[in-house]
Amino acid sequence: MNRLILMLALSLSAFCASADMVEHAQRERVAGIDVVTYHTEVKDVVVVVGALPAGDAFAGTGNAAVPTLTSMMLDRGTRNLDQFAIARQLESVGAEISFGAGPQSLEVRAKFLKKDLPLVIGLIADELRTPAFSAAEFNKAKQQFIGAVESSLQNTGARAQEAFSRAVFAPGDPNRPHTLEEFIAAAKVATLDEVKAFHAQNYGPAHFTLVVVGDVSMDTARTEIAKAFAGWTGGHDYLTSAPGAAPAGPNEIKIPLADKTSVSVLLGQATGLRHKDPDSLALQVGTAILGRGFTGRLMATVRDKEGLTYDIGAGIVDDTLVGGAWQLSASFAPSLLSKGVAASRRELQAWWQNGVTDKELSQRKRGIIGGYEVGLSTTGGLATTILSNLQRGYDLNWLDAYPKAVDALTVSQVNAAIKAHLDPSKMVLVEAGSLSAAK
Amino acid sequence: MVSSVRTTLPGRLVASCFVLLFGCSLALAAPATPGPAVPAPVVADGFTFVKSVGGISEYQLTSNGLTILLAPDHSAPVVTFQVTYRVGSRNEVTGTTGATHILEHMMFKGSEGYNDAKGNSVKQYLERVGGQYNASTSVDRTNYFATVGRDSLEGYIAIEADRMRRLLLRESDRQAEMTVVRNEYERGKNDPDNLLLEAVTAAAYVALPYHHPTIGWLSDIEHVPIERLRGFYDTFYWPNNATVTVVGDFDVAATLQLIRKYYGVYPHSPAPIPELYTEEPAQVGPRRVTIEMPGELGTVVIAHKVPIGIDADQPALEMLDAILSSGKSARLYRALVDQGLALAAASGTDLHRDLSLHTLYAQLAPGATHAQVEKSLLAELDKIRADGVTNEEIERVKQQYLAADAYRRDGTAAVASELNEWIAIGDWTLYVRFPEAVEHVTAADVQRVARKYFDENQSTTGWYVPVASGAEHGP
Repeated sequence: MNRLILMLALSLSAFCASADMVEHAQRERVAGIDVVTYHTEVKDVVVVVGALPAGDAFAGTGNAAVPTLTSMMLDRGTRNLDQFAIARQLESVGAEISFGAGPQSLEVRAKFLKKDLPLVIGLIADELRTPAFSAAEFNKAKQQFIGAVESSLQNTGARAQEAFSRAVFAPGDPNRPHTLEEFIAAAKVATLDEVKAFHAQNYGPAHFTLVVVGDVSMDTARTEIAKAFAGWTGGHDYLTSAPGAAPAGPNEIKIPLADKTSVSVLLGQATGLRHKDPDSLALQVGTAILGRGFTGRLMATVRDKEGLTYDIGAGIVDDTLVGGAWQLSASFAPSLLSKGVAASRRELQAWWQNGVTDKELSQRKRGIIGGYEVGLSTTGGLATTILSNLQRGYDLNWLDAYPKAVDALTVSQVNAAIKAHLDPSKMVLVEAGSLSAAK
Repeated sequence: MVSSVRTTLPGRLVASCFVLLFGCSLALAAPATPGPAVPAPVVADGFTFVKSVGGISEYQLTSNGLTILLAPDHSAPVVTFQVTYRVGSRNEVTGTTGATHILEHMMFKGSEGYNDAKGNSVKQYLERVGGQYNASTSVDRTNYFATVGRDSLEGYIAIEADRMRRLLLRESDRQAEMTVVRNEYERGKNDPDNLLLEAVTAAAYVALPYHHPTIGWLSDIEHVPIERLRGFYDTFYWPNNATVTVVGDFDVAATLQLIRKYYGVYPHSPAPIPELYTEEPAQVGPRRVTIEMPGELGTVVIAHKVPIGIDADQPALEMLDAILSSGKSARLYRALVDQGLALAAASGTDLHRDLSLHTLYAQLAPGATHAQVEKSLLAELDKIRADGVTNEEIERVKQQYLAADAYRRDGTAAVASELNEWIAIGDWTLYVRFPEAVEHVTAADVQRVARKYFDENQSTTGWYVPVASGAEHGP
């Protein structure tokens, strides 16, 4: 590797902040794949992020572990190359490719130097299209999957999130996860045939989005993607409907875990709102006033003034493809749990009841818009934002339209959205940790 | 989230196994090679130009000794401003463990000129302008940083400079913040791997203050008086103990004048910054620790003390770590993960200003025993000691390192963060020169450092042994 080339990478950032970000982007369908390129000033570095509908939700009534196990088989060799040959090719040029299954998506991420685009695109295609599905590797993947999930059994944050999502999303909702115990049991009985069948039924270009950002042009990307993915067929759309609200259950869920010095707390409810729905942006900005950053009300009071927690905030999750959930998250020492939850509820109630002020909205809008610009100043940040926007149903123009939409929000819109989509009296409280020591 | 202490394991560093979380460094005899775009020094009143390496220029504010590193890049309209204080938990003693970190928290409680009551505190300002900001404390340094639009730079410099010497440091704030820090401490103790690393580190270091965790012992966190914090602040928070780093879209001459305007009001520290003179005594045999707490899967950590961060052997150790644990071709992956003994395995060095700590880490796979995994980890070290590594391995990990070096510089904050760690260890120019040194590492170098440092008698081994969950049935 020529040292000089690498030093040029010091010319770092990705983003050209102008009112015309979209002018740096191109979007085409190539070999059936929705491809976006965004050329940046960063020298030599290219980032690829992509997603196709093959996440956990597509297990349906089948084995819950199969989508993730399928994703774990992708980098364990193909019909053309064994896993170590792939690793050698990537490592010899310092390139990285990784796959992971989320609630709905199989995601791919790659980072490499510009000259290695043909190699990396070729390997991504080979791994996605023709995994070897070796029986020996499958058994290792199962063991690793089970071990990783077992590790989460004692994690207060993971246990709280699992319980919360299962409480607010109805059975059949793509956002409703299986329990960790169900994942472990499913992995133990999963078969390689089930994985092969899942791959055949779900992997394909039909709703595959690939975003390529960095020192790259559409012409170059098109050539390599067309060559590597030629003739690939299959795939299907994401799940964009949900069965509606979860049936009413207990409004407090306690998950006792021994010998934990901190309790993870989640408080919230499903909103039914997708990110692109009309009220969503107003609710996001209103929520930021309550729970984002140090000037958010929760941090300013529950942490800064009262000293009850290290970390508290609020946000909206899982709203990319179907209606998501609003949640307040915090951690408290067992001895401060009651006080902390009471203080959190107090701030939530005041925010919900009285709304946000003109001054708060004005300051928060400025902060969100400024932060948006900063957040897009790396290749990875820009690529991730573009993919998220497309998955949420926006087109490329949203890159420029988003700050304007934030700026146009009024205080009455924000407060109306808070009242319309949230109700603290209907929220679910989840506590995970050593609760016998709680006060 | 504001503040973070460094308690990590190499096994967590899946994506970047070369420069373990906190960077690394070394002082090499070879002269620095300038980068491709060495800027001509800017003549600025009140500043002394020191040197330029790799496109980064060092100046000193003549009146008070403040060091300034400038790395202009105009490809995006953002700029990262950072101040690194050369004080960390290595400067603490019994009774004040964790004080550096508490002080870092107190730095967000307001200064005379900028505070919540005035509506212009660092939090209020940076969140109004959309800045991404944070601070962190480690064994060797404390840093405060923000990435902002270029038009917001001056406002942040003014606030950062004000809190260098005009911090409020009120007892009422300490009381509220103590419980915040205690919660941070408690969150860390939820993770058995964190506890294991703390125990191994405490056993490996007897005399050096790296013995205690950066977050401190709980009793010290709870009881350290405000006067001790004030003493700490008045000892270490001076311009001559700080380095300002600016990366991104800024004008060099204008920014130097802003730095002079806001930092030039302070004198040099009235007393010399205290130097640590403690030395670690020789280790005379292997050490072992065991942690037991509820959980499912065990962990093995094997640590060895290795030279100071700026030692010339560090690039070879870096390559050794990569050969052991970077990617699927790595030896630990093949010997442990691929063989079903471990879910993850890694090797890395936590580089320090004083003696650094090298660790081998493995999280046990279901069914594997601690003894099996420990034996396999040691066997891989022994193979390198006995048979060395291949030229093919060396070339592979060099390419990985050099590419990763480019990735690590994607974004102004990433560059500032990387520089921060080299500053802490003692020589920022290693940001440029360490990768150059890596290019010259040979297979013989790797075998030599393996033989030199990985003696069983110098090891500290830790096991996390999961035990059945006790009775915990809720309130």
